[in-house]
Amino acid sequence: MPAKLERSAKALSWLSTLSLWLAGAGLVVMTAIVAWQVFCRYVLNDSPSWTEPGAVMLMSWFIFLGAAVGVRENYHMGFDVLLYVMPKGGKAWLRMISDIVAFAFGIGMVWYGSQLVMLTWNTTLPSLRISGGWDYVPLVAGGTLICLFSLERMVLRLAGQPIDDILDELPPAEVAAELDTAKVKA
Amino acid sequence: QTVLKSSDTHPDGYPTVEGVKYFGELVKERTAGRYAVEVYHSAQLGEEKDTIEQVRSGVIELNRVSMAPFNGTVKETIVPALPYIFRSEEHMHKVMDGAIGDQIKAAFEPAGLVALAFYDAGARSFYNKQKPINSVADMKGLKFRVIQSDIFVDMVAALGANATPMPYGEVYSAIETGVIDGAENNFPSYDTAKHFEVAKNFSLDEHTILPEVFVMNKAAFDKLTPEDQAIFKQAAKDSVAKQRELWAAKTAESRSKVEAAGAKITTPDKQGFIDAMNPVYDKHITDPVLKKLVEDVQAVQ
Amino acid sequence: MEILILFGVFTLLMLIGTPIAFCLGVASFATVLYMGLPPLVIFQRLNSGMSVFSLLAIPFFIYAGDLMVRGGIAQKIIAFAASLVGHIRGGLGQVNIVTATLFGGISGSAVAEAAAVGGVMIPQMKQRGYGADYAVNITSMAALIALMLPPSHNMIIYSISAGGKISIADLFTAGVIPGLLYAAALMVTAYFVARSRGYPTEPFPGFAKVGQYFLISIPGLLLIGIIFGGVRSGVFTATESSCIAVLYALAVTAFVYRRMTWNDFVHATFGAVRTTAMVLLIIGMAAAFSWLMAFLRVPASLIAWMNTISDNPIIILLLINVLMLVLGTFMDMGPTIIICTPIFLPVAVAYGIDPVHFGVIMILNFGIGLNTPPVGAVQFVACAVGKISVWEAMRSIWPFYAAGLVVLGLVTYIPALSLWLPSVFK
Ligand code: NA
Ligand code: NA
Repeated sequence: MPAKLERSAKALSWLSTLSLWLAGAGLVVMTAIVAWQVFCRYVLNDSPSWTEPGAVMLMSWFIFLGAAVGVRENYHMGFDVLLYVMPKGGKAWLRMISDIVAFAFGIGMVWYGSQLVMLTWNTTLPSLRISGGWDYVPLVAGGTLICLFSLERMVLRLAGQPIDDILDELPPAEVAAELDTAKVKA
Repeated sequence: QTVLKSSDTHPDGYPTVEGVKYFGELVKERTAGRYAVEVYHSAQLGEEKDTIEQVRSGVIELNRVSMAPFNGTVKETIVPALPYIFRSEEHMHKVMDGAIGDQIKAAFEPAGLVALAFYDAGARSFYNKQKPINSVADMKGLKFRVIQSDIFVDMVAALGANATPMPYGEVYSAIETGVIDGAENNFPSYDTAKHFEVAKNFSLDEHTILPEVFVMNKAAFDKLTPEDQAIFKQAAKDSVAKQRELWAAKTAESRSKVEAAGAKITTPDKQGFIDAMNPVYDKHITDPVLKKLVEDVQAVQ
Repeated sequence: MEILILFGVFTLLMLIGTPIAFCLGVASFATVLYMGLPPLVIFQRLNSGMSVFSLLAIPFFIYAGDLMVRGGIAQKIIAFAASLVGHIRGGLGQVNIVTATLFGGISGSAVAEAAAVGGVMIPQMKQRGYGADYAVNITSMAALIALMLPPSHNMIIYSISAGGKISIADLFTAGVIPGLLYAAALMVTAYFVARSRGYPTEPFPGFAKVGQYFLISIPGLLLIGIIFGGVRSGVFTATESSCIAVLYALAVTAFVYRRMTWNDFVHATFGAVRTTAMVLLIIGMAAAFSWLMAFLRVPASLIAWMNTISDNPIIILLLINVLMLVLGTFMDMGPTIIICTPIFLPVAVAYGIDPVHFGVIMILNFGIGLNTPPVGAVQFVACAVGKISVWEAMRSIWPFYAAGLVVLGLVTYIPALSLWLPSVFK
């Protein structure tokens, strides 16, 4: 791999890991927030009004971050029936189209997400007392990452990197799952 | 012919939906069929927060929504949403049909909207499964589900009760199991959401008598000829009378239905509730424009 | 033309293997661009379709399931269940269905149920030699029991969509017998499929062993009691109970079984993030797709067409069921109920069908739609938990579809199945 490509792949790998850690932290904090909501209502007899919108906003963050990582790690669910029967060259083309589709949608998320941020920036979210634009910031962030990660796949493929061969050589999902389960201490 | 799309979260046949449909008929008749209105009822196009963004960005031209979601955007809408600001529905009609109503309507323009009309949404009151409420003291310690609004949360706290924000769809089972003791709404919603089955004590404290608003995308409105603009405004005004009539009938029908089903309706002494609101007003009405508006509303006899 | 673009782009992309989330999103995106609508509405629907508090149950139940698997709770419960009924052919499939029935009594969300039961059962079934497709299909079909047994949020949505003229208490009661009938039909189907596939039976280990496994699995089993008791006694709501499940699973695995290492915890968390991000992205994209269908009046035109076909109640009910199955294939349950109730219910009532009865038909019908691609939230969750593609699940789901359709037929044409129990309580 050319050194420049390798450096950017490394940077994106780092970005993907960071996103995954942030999303995981989001899930943990979300758990804490809802638990706090139950505790306050039942034990303190005083319900905070920020917990529900706060947890929902964290959920958007971790969905979009996790979804973007999914583009890079290629774990989004699809009908792969045609891919099974296609010859290798054809497969690469179909995967190229799918990456372009993800990239185009990512652009849409950034562009129209920004418009939504601007449209709602002067509103105030009840309870959280922050700008309503924050509702759409995760959409923009997730879109940016989806663009980067799908672009990476396209560039690597055009540079002749074996990213599709790796997918083809992976065991079928069913077996892979067994392997994963086997890793869990029985 | 231009078909204007309008959203409503209520089901077909609901007074607000019928009000907008009537508006559409009048517009069609008076513009000789050049304009028609299609109502997407039952939240087909999304919940109110979403459809407000849709009408502001021009995806749809018209929208019938409550005013609470505008509190963060159009500050003047905070005033009619204040607890116990209106003494009665007549008081509310007088205020909103007059100069104050026009001032609030004008405040929608910077948000890219033309407020065409205010529709009745009745009075919201508390209901619970524990006991009848006759005074503020009876509210102590009860848990009520309220909408996501700081004013509502503070109002409930000022009454000595506990406000619990919660998705509307979970309220029925939450009252049934006792996560909360009750909620607050108008008669038609108390009836249609079946909350009367699990919370039998309805206390007519009428804390908010907040009308709903029928808005149009400003760019779409500005594109109309001055004659058509006048037609739209007049048709909206005419639809208000029709909508109020339907609303009154709906409320009476729901009230007799829940009473027949065993709901106990009490009328608490309102003065104690009104007095308890002073800290809520002090906290939320700091803006001089709003302070003046509150005084103006209270001055209307 | 708009409708052609919406479905055409979607089908084309799906066929070439584009992830379903992006098929839904880009088909909607292309359609609004063609129509000249501001495309921001698609991204708004995507965002708000997933920003719903009740959806928190999905990540939480998936997370709790991952923790239980990593921390050994699942293995202990299944060891007990297997010792109890493992000697029956297809025993774990039966255990899955019975567990789903118990869970259905505490959860109103089929999606959350698929995550909760599937997260525990599917890995175990696979480990014990069951096909992943069999485990996934049993889980996804059994999860629908949650919709039929009380509590069921969807029945409340139905009642509200019907203008509130239907008692929710009656609806809840009416769903019980059809729900149990459906569970029984699945158990019979699971038995025959297991027999034809020759799934292993296990030797009966003796009552002493059963008792021992029971004692070991008590801390895990208590979770069901805590959720059930907590929801019933009003300590927390159904959505909140999913969060309590996470905390409890963490506490038991870390402090009682002492199996949860930091590494296990991180892996369980990342696993939950990956699964839920994938599922909820599809749910958000489906919300955008459904919005466009409503905007284009697709459901309404279908019904207008149906009214021209027949006036025989048996045929009309059949037609309504077929149309609802088709709509349920492409749309998510909540919006479909809201859109279809005001249109179908008056037709049904005109032909003498009780609104409570019709509600049960509708919930079961749209429930099956939750297990049909392209828009099938429950199936997606089960597939994600089972780590197989929807295509793999589809190859062997047919006997279970058949069971569901037979029960749907019985529920449709025998009103007493729905209406007898509510009449007892009057
Ligand atoms: Na249930
Ligand atoms: Na479906």
